Amino acid sequence: MKTRLLWGIMFLVLIISSVSQAATEIRIAGFGGNDQNIVEELIARFVETELAAQGVKIIYEPIADDYPRYILNALSAGTAADLFYMDIFWAKNVIKTGAVEPLDSYLQDSAVLSKDDIVTSLLEGFTVDGSLYGIPKDFNSLALFYNKDLFDIAGVEYPNSEDTWESLEQKLEKVVAIDQNFIGMALQPDFARMGALAYANGWEPFVGNETNLLAPEFKEAFAVYTDLKAKGLGLMPADIGQGWGGGAFATGNTATCLEGAWIIGFLRDQAPNLNYDATLLPKSTATGERGNFIFTVAWGINADSQNKELTFKVLEALTSPAAQQWVLERGLAIPSRKSLVDNPYFENETKEAQANKIVFIGAATGQVKPFSFKEYGGKWIDPINAALAEVMSGQSTVEQALATAQKRLDEDVMK
Amino acid sequence: MENKWRFLKEKSAPYLLLTPFVIWFLIFFGYAFIRVLFFSFTDYDLFATPRFVGLSNFQGLFREFLFARALKNSLTYAIIVTTFQTIGALILAVVLNYKIRGIKFFRAAYYMPSVTSSVVITLIFIWLFQRKGVINYLLTLFAQYRLLIWVFLIFFLISQTLLVLKEKWRQRPVSIFEPSYVVLSLLLAVVITFLLKTGGFISILTVQPLETIWLNTRETTPNWAGSLAFPRPLAAIMFLNIWTTIPTFMLLYLAGLQDIPLSLYQAAEVDGASTVQKFWYVTVPQLRHITFLVVTMGLISTLQMFDQVAIIGGQAPQESIITLAYYVYVTMFPRSAIAEVGMASAAALVLAVLTLIIVVIQQRVTGERRYKSE
Repeated sequence: MKTRLLWGIMFLVLIISSVSQAATEIRIAGFGGNDQNIVEELIARFVETELAAQGVKIIYEPIADDYPRYILNALSAGTAADLFYMDIFWAKNVIKTGAVEPLDSYLQDSAVLSKDDIVTSLLEGFTVDGSLYGIPKDFNSLALFYNKDLFDIAGVEYPNSEDTWESLEQKLEKVVAIDQNFIGMALQPDFARMGALAYANGWEPFVGNETNLLAPEFKEAFAVYTDLKAKGLGLMPADIGQGWGGGAFATGNTATCLEGAWIIGFLRDQAPNLNYDATLLPKSTATGERGNFIFTVAWGINADSQNKELTFKVLEALTSPAAQQWVLERGLAIPSRKSLVDNPYFENETKEAQANKIVFIGAATGQVKPFSFKEYGGKWIDPINAALAEVMSGQSTVEQALATAQKRLDEDVMK
Repeated sequence: MENKWRFLKEKSAPYLLLTPFVIWFLIFFGYAFIRVLFFSFTDYDLFATPRFVGLSNFQGLFREFLFARALKNSLTYAIIVTTFQTIGALILAVVLNYKIRGIKFFRAAYYMPSVTSSVVITLIFIWLFQRKGVINYLLTLFAQYRLLIWVFLIFFLISQTLLVLKEKWRQRPVSIFEPSYVVLSLLLAVVITFLLKTGGFISILTVQPLETIWLNTRETTPNWAGSLAFPRPLAAIMFLNIWTTIPTFMLLYLAGLQDIPLSLYQAAEVDGASTVQKFWYVTVPQLRHITFLVVTMGLISTLQMFDQVAIIGGQAPQESIITLAYYVYVTMFPRSAIAEVGMASAAALVLAVLTLIIVVIQQRVTGERRYKSE
């Protein structure tokens, strides 16, 4: 009788455990749009095959709009996904709330992933008080993309890695002289583009806890960028009804734009026949240096997740060398693994492989800074962007606009 | 005993019927309001335990540049939009109340802006307001043809006046807008303008294409208003909002117009009242209770306007279009991912109190007038 009962209980436990195992779900949250297709395919190719035996079901939850708002709300309400994107732009603010799981102990026990595998400069944006909270999934930097056909028509030498902003301007002048419909450069009124020029001049965004937009290094960079518009060598994408530089570049009338590898997939879809190439950003005329941003997004684990161990396994699979190689070859982003640096893919002669290579090199040459601005985030950037838009639409001079922006920073943002 | 039971049942019935609404109200309004009240006195980021900070959130608000802007923008917006939409709705309703053929079509057509999703309309307007958009194109066209238009209008007026005067001189009863004369004058004006144009006396002016920046600007308009001028992007949103809300309120006025007894108009006609006089002394006073409703609803909805600002958001500098409701939102969910729940709650309360005060003032003013007139 007793043994029967025991057997019965064991049987029940077995059923329950198998049922609950079959129902183990790992939820992943990320951006919508292109990312949805990528991650879903990544999951199908690299994650589900690995974890199928353990009965894990993976659900990707694409967030179409305003991702930071979603993650903040969901984390505080306890409904966030187990594994989620963290943009370097705001990652530290979310990490400081304590809602993200520190990964150090997981990395110690892991056989396939360690801190040393990841490009070192990417980790800083996700490290708080010495602990690592996110594994960068990929990264990006800016490059100068140019339309070869327009330079050929004008008979002008292509932009190259020796160009300074001055010599690039001379080339653009010759291109726009050919046809009044030609646009020299798509000038997004955005610090995420213009800031690279300021860094090249040696400008530091934060000295102590102060930001000085009136420093000569910044002012000069600001003037170079906005003067391109004043000299008729460039237009804001919005002026021709485009939302960003890539959109303007895809029209085929724009000779150059400053974008990252994200433009490659876009151009493949929107302008498959565009004959483009990429080179490093021009050097500062004054210092001869280059500047650039590092944009990166990391995977973070929800501290309240029920299945942290399993989630980490998913993270391992998503950042495995095979998965990253696949992402790279699709022209989507540059892998964050050091071992993929000398990748044979980069030696391909296709325009996409070459552009990826340039973006990759750009992230390690000159004054490169992560695209994150202490705890201020977008509030810090907004006044600068407003100043850029104002000067380029001819409503304000460089001096006035910078004075206003500085005032906004001092009085409202960094008070 | 039986009677008492019935009495109880009768007394409790209304409360029983009200219960579903009261429960809904308590959860989604009462509870939320108390939470907001509590958070407005705390420093809270959605994660750490709220820390009591007294009134410092409110003090902080009034020190903040963006909040001051939001307050000013909201007030200007509410006053201007409410005024124009009330007048516009009244006029449109009176016009659409005429019994002419196909009036139902016009009523439906004019109501379209109100039933279209405001998100869709705002997106269309972003497009229209572009630097090389339709609005700038039409303004440029107007600038080019303004000489022709003036000549046409002047000759039309001259001819119409002469024709009417001639009839009056012959002591015949004639209205200023006698339709046959209007047609005649129009034809005459077109012919004269055409002849002057082909004769080379007047021509289409060559003007620079207008490239007014409607959205991405910090400039203020109108120029003569000094510190009372409002940002141009806000003006664009005002225009958009007036256009979409007029039809809604027009519907209320139309309903009100149906209730005005015909005998009042007949009596006025017997007394020799003109069309304008009938409108002013019969229609407007008879619609006073509708006007009260329209103004109240208009003030509340304009003070809390959010959707159009949120959609235009990225196209215009934040400080130029920010309203109180949008301020609450961006403080709660900033791009830097640090929620300032305390500040946002305090701002939401300020908005609520402000709305209440304005509506009470409006009620006092128009309510008193209504009492006197009766």
